[in-house]
Amino acid sequence: MQFFGTTEINPSPPAVTAGGNNAHMMYIFNRNGVCLLYREWNRPLRTLNVQQDQKLMFGLLFSLKSLTAKMDPIWYQVFLFTPFVIWIFGGWKMAERLIQYRDSLSSVEKVSLGVPQLPGQGCAFHSFRTNTYKLSFMETPSGIKVKECELFNTTLDQYVRGLG
Amino acid sequence: MAAIYSLYIINKSGGLIFYKDYGSAGRMDTNDTLRLASLWHSMHAISQQLSPVSGCTGIELLEADTFDLHCFQALTVVKLVIEAYPKGPSTGGAAVGSKLPWFSSCSAFREAPESICILCAVRFNGTKFFVVCEPGTPHMENLLKHIYELYTDYVLKNPFYEMEMPIRCELFDINLAQAVQKDRVTLLGR
Repeated sequence: MQFFGTTEINPSPPAVTAGGNNAHMMYIFNRNGVCLLYREWNRPLRTLNVQQDQKLMFGLLFSLKSLTAKMDPIWYQVFLFTPFVIWIFGGWKMAERLIQYRDSLSSVEKVSLGVPQLPGQGCAFHSFRTNTYKLSFMETPSGIKVKECELFNTTLDQYVRGLG
Repeated sequence: MAAIYSLYIINKSGGLIFYKDYGSAGRMDTNDTLRLASLWHSMHAISQQLSPVSGCTGIELLEADTFDLHCFQALTVVKLVIEAYPKGPSTGGAAVGSKLPWFSSCSAFREAPESICILCAVRFNGTKFFVVCEPGTPHMENLLKHIYELYTDYVLKNPFYEMEMPIRCELFDINLAQAVQKDRVTLLGR
């Protein structure tokens, strides 16, 4: 929007470029709200310290789940909190590819991996977007054990970096 | 089948000032809608806090299995004339604008004479419109913008309307019903 015609300052941040397709952060929480894993790849802005950030993130998820369960116009959903939650922050393409990846798994693999059979199942809401980032998440009905595992860390890192 | 399930308008403090249901399951009473509206207000604010990059203005679209929620924020244009430092581009209006947090969303400016800078800031006034609709319903942003136009025409220009108070304007109701109906017809025809 331009009012006087000469110089213009764009109010929105620079458009999402190649870097924006990569993940910003990833969180894994258990059902008690304890952050089991936190990884970040690209996070220029920090407003809170690590503990507060994780607490706020879990609170946001929890409240959005109860909000969507209540707001659901089709049927009444029982508000459950399943054991493990995976959160991935990322750009537009990243989220799409994750969903494609998840959908491409056969049902046998999904059961053995504990991957949801339907998008965002276990809960009504599976992603939201703002003007700067998109957040996607999924839940696993069975548990994933996250340990300090070198192989897991390197593979995860490679996978996420390869997504861009 | 309804394309839009419900429409909410909330004021800058998170209070629900308008709610209309267009055929959801209908198990929400007035208290529920008030609670959801204020909950959405705080979720919106938290999502700005958690942004990994600066300039985030909050949730625009929330995708769930059975519905989409589109949110639109009303803008206010504030024009100000302030005196700026005359020397050099780095101390001009842009620099002043960037130093004032209030002007972080400064949209356009012009340094008219050497020492005067006119700043025109566009900022969100806090009023939020959001619709709950079927997943993947197209053109909801346009509908929300149209509803915002109706709000400015028939609510804000109503001399009996008090700001931040619940909306009870007949003309707004009539035009809103028409807009939603029109949207539904175009959607069915597509």
